[in-house]
Amino acid sequence: MKLWHLIKKYGWLPLLLLVTWVGLRHDAFLYQDPVGQVVRVQTLNKGAVTDEHGNQDEAVSERLTIKLLNRSGQVQIENGYAQSQGITAHYRVGDQVILSHAGGHNWQVFSLKRDALLGTLVVLFVSLLLIYGRLRAGGFLLLSLGLNLALFGLALVADIQVKSVSVVGLFATVAVAMAALSLFLVLGWGLQMGITWAATVLSTGLALIVMVVCLSLTHNEGVHFETMSYVTQVPKTLFYAQTIIGVLGAVMDESSDIIAALFGMHRENPNRPFHDYWQAGQSVGREILGTLVNILFMIFIAETIPMVILMLRNGNNWSYILDQVMNLGILQTVVSGLGIVLAVPVTALLGATFLVKRGDQS
Amino acid sequence: MNAIGLLSLILFAALMLVAGKQGLKIFLGLIINFAVIFILIILLNWQFNPYVVTAILSVTILAVSIYLSSDNGQVMNTAFKASLVITAGLMLVAYLAQFSGQLQGFATENSDELEGLSLAVGLNFGHLAVVVMVLSALGAIAEASMAITADLHEVIERTPTIQVTNLEHHARIIGRQILGTAINTLFFGMLGSTLPLLIWFLRLRYSLSMFFNAKLLVMELITMLLGMLGILLSIWLASHLVVNDFKKGRIDLDAGDL
Repeated sequence: MKLWHLIKKYGWLPLLLLVTWVGLRHDAFLYQDPVGQVVRVQTLNKGAVTDEHGNQDEAVSERLTIKLLNRSGQVQIENGYAQSQGITAHYRVGDQVILSHAGGHNWQVFSLKRDALLGTLVVLFVSLLLIYGRLRAGGFLLLSLGLNLALFGLALVADIQVKSVSVVGLFATVAVAMAALSLFLVLGWGLQMGITWAATVLSTGLALIVMVVCLSLTHNEGVHFETMSYVTQVPKTLFYAQTIIGVLGAVMDESSDIIAALFGMHRENPNRPFHDYWQAGQSVGREILGTLVNILFMIFIAETIPMVILMLRNGNNWSYILDQVMNLGILQTVVSGLGIVLAVPVTALLGATFLVKRGDQS
Repeated sequence: MNAIGLLSLILFAALMLVAGKQGLKIFLGLIINFAVIFILIILLNWQFNPYVVTAILSVTILAVSIYLSSDNGQVMNTAFKASLVITAGLMLVAYLAQFSGQLQGFATENSDELEGLSLAVGLNFGHLAVVVMVLSALGAIAEASMAITADLHEVIERTPTIQVTNLEHHARIIGRQILGTAINTLFFGMLGSTLPLLIWFLRLRYSLSMFFNAKLLVMELITMLLGMLGILLSIWLASHLVVNDFKKGRIDLDAGDL
């Protein structure tokens, strides 16, 4: 009975996921580039290869027969890959791919088509969020994510279009605006939002100032901005921008919790001395700062793992890898940690000051 | 002096000043987790089964993040239980995502860094992609389940005679608040780390279709979505566990000291 009830209540979710998946597997007509589906894979050649570091791998070449989905006809493409698939890839029957066509029989696989996977996961997340948070909490959170993404997109466009803009200034402004927007949507307009926002901005700024001072005192010793990936502009300022945005989210989380607790105390008894708020703010902050530092640490370090392993297997030693691959991730973790720690006294101080001043006026 | 060393020293001093003994534990936890990641990388490099290695070391990382962050034994046990279940589930989803999306390894955007490196290194990068997705979510999962469990225990401590339906109601309200802030943390963190790649895509005028299909960006987006799913499900499960414990009278109000 209970199971039947569950199926009736949530049965639409798997169905919705299926519809999204199938729908996005049939959206080839939306693409301008040729899109096709692999219908046949023939292995042409297989051979063992050993690189100069003694790593053994297998090189394979295959012939893919691809049925075009937004054009008529079929094409054949020869594809070579290494069994480890570091940068080359093996394709399977049923895989959908985006192709590039350089005239004649010169077709190439440009990219795997991944929109069905992405879309299905987005739908899964949004559905669960709305089931759990209902329209009010879930919908507001989605709205906040969407608006923030739009703001961020505008900043990206501005960074690229406007030649003379300061990257740090631009992203700092956007980050401050994004914080205000998220807090406004969660807390509404008022003193609580104002204090939380001020504490967030102040703590992030402080952490950044400490970083800049330390970097200039040590003349960037041991920091390798040039090792940053995907660099299309000055890496140092890009790193600052990245750090501001990363730290801000965690600090906002922390300040919201502290200020919410202090406002709770204020509602129970508006005539408390400064010391009460200060102590309570510190103790709430201490509880959460450990796990918050960990969130960012895992994000920054996990993404370096494939590169670290590739370097290791290419015969590099750990000290070189720490210097070249993990360097900026570690720096970012430390600076974020600093922001998260500094946010505790800053938020407690701001909250306590304002709430004591407010007293029982309200 | 090395800039990172100096900043680490300042971080340590600030932690001690702000959080005292607990600060020491947090710093220790960070160093242990860093060591665990080292061990993970070494074991992966030695070709141990990546899923077994990740499962075991994820448990370790969760244990360190949770047990070194608070003092209440029962809160930590519940949070640990919830995060283990969710991490296991997430690993399955990550595997499916990798299977269908082939998100492994590098792309032409990495050419600069890959110059001079051999890529035929005899190690399946597909497994590594799953490892990255799972590890990226661990911190967020631990944080979310800790936060909801601790808050609900506090509610029970304040009013030990609270009705079950009332507690469930509190669980929903607190859960939604934590959900909002935790998801924002992850969202901003990921936006920051994806910034250079996004600028690359825009500056080199990638076509719109690449934003939904290109390997590197989709990998980042899927990692973010998995983390958010992890947060949502941890809150859900952890509050369910606490309410269940309360129903059966298993909440020990003097569990403050471990």
